[in-house]
Order: sequence, then C-alpha cells, then structure tokens
Amino acid sequence: MFAELNSILNTSPDSFKPGEFILVSDKHTDASFLIHHFLSFYLRAGCKVCFLGLVQSFSHYSAISQRLGVSLTQAREKGQLVFLEGLKESLGVLLQASKGTRTMDFLRDPSSGLRGLYDFVRDNVRGAVGGAEEWGPPVLLVDDLSVVLSLGVSVGAALDFSHYCRATVCSELQGSMVMLVRCEAEEEEESDDEGSERLLRGLIHQCSLTLQVQGLPTGYCRDIHGQVEVCWRGQCDKQQAQKKLFQYKVHDKGASFFARGMSSAVL
Amino acid sequence: MLLEVLQGTEAGGFILIQDSVNYCGRHLLKSCINAALKREEVVHVLGFEVSQEELNDGLDKTSAQRLHFHNAYSDPLGWTGNSPFTVHQFTLEDIGTLLKQTPQAKAVTLVIDSLSWILRHHDPAAICQKLQALKKGGVVRAVIGLLHSDLHQRGTVGSICHLATSVITVAPGTRGLGAFAKITRRTKSGKLMQDEEIFSINEDLTVTIQSKRSHPGSTPMNTDESEVDPTANLTFNLRLSDTQREAKEKLPLPFVFSKEKKSALLHPGTGSGRILYEPDANDDYDQEDPDDDLDV
Repeated sequence: MFAELNSILNTSPDSFKPGEFILVSDKHTDASFLIHHFLSFYLRAGCKVCFLGLVQSFSHYSAISQRLGVSLTQAREKGQLVFLEGLKESLGVLLQASKGTRTMDFLRDPSSGLRGLYDFVRDNVRGAVGGAEEWGPPVLLVDDLSVVLSLGVSVGAALDFSHYCRATVCSELQGSMVMLVRCEAEEEEESDDEGSERLLRGLIHQCSLTLQVQGLPTGYCRDIHGQVEVCWRGQCDKQQAQKKLFQYKVHDKGASFFARGMSSAVL
Repeated sequence: MLLEVLQGTEAGGFILIQDSVNYCGRHLLKSCINAALKREEVVHVLGFEVSQEELNDGLDKTSAQRLHFHNAYSDPLGWTGNSPFTVHQFTLEDIGTLLKQTPQAKAVTLVIDSLSWILRHHDPAAICQKLQALKKGGVVRAVIGLLHSDLHQRGTVGSICHLATSVITVAPGTRGLGAFAKITRRTKSGKLMQDEEIFSINEDLTVTIQSKRSHPGSTPMNTDESEVDPTANLTFNLRLSDTQREAKEKLPLPFVFSKEKKSALLHPGTGSGRILYEPDANDDYDQEDPDDDLDV
C-alpha cells in the first residue's frame, strides 16, 4: 500500500468510497505495481477480495505483498482472499484434465465469452453467509483484462463481463472493483476496432476513477519511471471530470508519487 | 439552440446525445429527462448502463411517478435467468408491452441509456430500422438516446445521426468554462440548423448557456485579453515621438544601393585610398577599363 497514493486518491483502508470501479491502464510501461497497491490496500481494510490473476502465479503476488507487509497465504487460508490462478487453471483446461469447471471455458471456445468467469466471480464475492469471519464489502481485482483479447475473446464479451461484474459487485453489493488493462497499440490511424484501445474506451465509460500510467514522453529516466494521470469521472452531476497528473518511481518496498518536476532526484 | 432542443420536442422527434470518454453525456441526458418530467410527460427509461439509483440521483422527486425505469442494467443478457429486460427485447413489440404499463399517457418520451450498449449486441442496420419505426409509429412521442461515439465505427455513428432530428455532440470545455456542445437540428421541412454553445449544468439539472463562443480550438485567448500593448509598463522607453519617427523613416537602409552610394563609389573623393599598380614583366596588363560595358 502506497501512502502517497492514498493521499492523492483521498482514501485510506478505514474509509473509502463504496461502489467504486477503478480502472488502471498502461501504455508502453507496466502498471502492475498499482495492482499490488490495491491488493494490499483492500486486504488491510478487511474486505473480502476476489482476485483473478490471469497473468502471474500466486507466488509472484505473494512475494511482492510480503514486501508490502501483507501475507497472501494467510489471507487465503482465513478465507479473506479467493485467488484464481489463471495460468494453472488454463493448463488444466488445455490438457483436458477432468476438472470440469467452466471458469476458463473461454480458452476452449473464445466466442462463448466470459460468462464462466463471471459465474466464478459471482459465487465468490457473495461470501458464505454465517461464516466464521465477517469481512467488509467485497472487492474484485482483475490482472489483467486485456490478456483475454489475445486469447480470442472479443472486445464486446470483455465489456459484457466487466458490466456484469460492476452490476453485481459495485451496484448490488456496494463493493469495489479494480481492473488492469494494458494497451499496446502503436498506430492510431487505423481504426483498431477489435483492439485494446476500444476495450479501454469502453471500460472508461463504465468506470468511476481511472489511473492511466504511461512512460515519460521524453524517454527513459532512471529516477522517474513514468507518469500517472488520475481522472475522477463525474458520476454525480456536480463534479465534472477532474484530472491530476503525477510522476512516480517504483522502489523495492513501494512507490513514491510526486508532482511533475518535483522528483527528489532533481530538486 | 440547446435550450430549445431540450425544452420542446415535436412529435416524432429523436434527440441524440453523443459523447466520448473525455466528457460524460449522461448529465445532459438527465437534464433532458428532468425537463420532460417538468413538462408533465411520462418518461420511460431503458437503462442498460447505469443502475436506477444512479440515474434517479438528482432528478425531480415530485414527478417520480411519471418516471418508469426498466431495469436492463442488472442482467441485460439473461445470464441469471430471470432478467427484467434484456437487450434482445429491444423490439417494437416488447417496447410496446413496456409502454402499456402506462396506457393513459398521451405523451410518452422514451429514453435509451445507452444506444451503444444495444449497438454492441445488434446489427446497426436493424437498430436503425427499429428506431425509425419507433419514431414514426406513434407509440412514443419522442425518443432521446445517448451514444458513445468513440466506441463505434464512424459509419455506424453516422447512420444513427442521420435518423436523429437533433444531434447534440458534447465535449469538455476549455479551461473549466463549462462544456462545449455542438447542436445540429433538422426541422420537419428539411431545414438544417447548426449551433455551437458553451453550457454548464446546475445542481437542479437545468442547463445554463454560458456563451455562444465558437469551437474551442479556434481563438480561445481573445475572449479575455484584448490587444496587449508591449511597450507599456516598462522601465525604459520603447516609444517614438513624431520627430523621431520621421528621422527613422528617412534613414536609408544599410545595403540599399541608392544614388548617393553609387556616386560615392564611382567617383572617389580626394584623400580616399588610391591604388598604385606596378605591373610585373609577366603580367598581362590591359589598359582598358573592364567595367566599361557595365550599364550602371
């Protein structure tokens, strides 16, 4: 959990807005450090977290969360964290193991969409009624959604999935949702209809807060790893979209955020 | 013109609000709904994109009984099996069934939030046919739709715009002035009117027009800064008096070949440098003046 990011977003594990859909996107850089932030943030807040880890193994997140002071293994054992290890499950599906779950069905039949994945989410965010521990509002974390595009799923199916997750997690259960989308489109002239850009735009229309991470426009810098544009989309009528731009540097145990030109390396 | 479009809809009208990721058009859509409710119209909303609580937030509570929200948000594709309204029910018959919930209404306004959702699941041509049938069929008096223009191909967006009697394209305004709207209106006689306005939406969802400035891309700076005089407020004097200006204009420029310069060069005055040339034995000394043939 990055303290500076909490103050930028005006949240803390004790008080955060319910029903938020936070979209993290990156272009030419890696924004997964923000996913680690949100994972440790919501675990510290005592929420029930459902994590769809489609691109990395559980031990990867566990090792990084350890450095941020949160133990994922413990959280999983206590039932606070439900972790879908996409890579392991996909191996089972592709090797036709006898598992039979429909969660990763889209690997066999991309045109069927992500309904199986949504069923998994729905079953796991509700939580056992009368369970031993009462957790806070449910949280869904997805890392990352754009990988399904390269597996053959259409942009429309991915947007339907995020719509259903939002309807269930954010609106019905007043929980929160964080999704990571990675864009790799270089050219902007071709109207990339089925690309990650269209997925990103569709998700921006659905979400309430976006964090768009990019590399510095001037190139690589050792002390500043990139910039983050935070945009609060006006859900209520009073607020127009409010945007703020920061630069960041990722350390071993966290990340620091600062206004443009205020990096400690240049001051 | 924006206020006229929001206030009055003739029968068979189709108002299209186009937005993009930079500015959410739903606020303006809610203004339209509020205006229709205040006009004592019955409003049916097909809500695909936001929940009922979110849409009702800020709307006029006193006319709440005239607002009918059809929940297509929680299960638009029928995944849970008991969906109130799915996207596949966007047909004339099903909409007619919905509208029969209010049989005594004379003026029904149908609001679609949003058309982008439906376009993702249906063929654009079929949608256009259904919208046209809705417009002409007399089932509803007016249709108001929200479209996210950056989620579709230009051809699709263009087709829907052609059906509309009024198209309002919204974009963020420059420097926090409000939002920018470009309105295109087609009257029954076929006349086309266009306008661009800067507006803002108040807390009670009424729209205030701030100015009728032109497109934010052109000349935004002239609005609050008239011609700035650069020679004012300096510690030194950059201005010229009249005599100084005359003298300045009289001054010949350095490389202009004027008459005085020509005569000075051709007829060197006394005391100026003279060139003494003693030809060598090997030199080919020609007495003629090589510049004789110059027509100077």
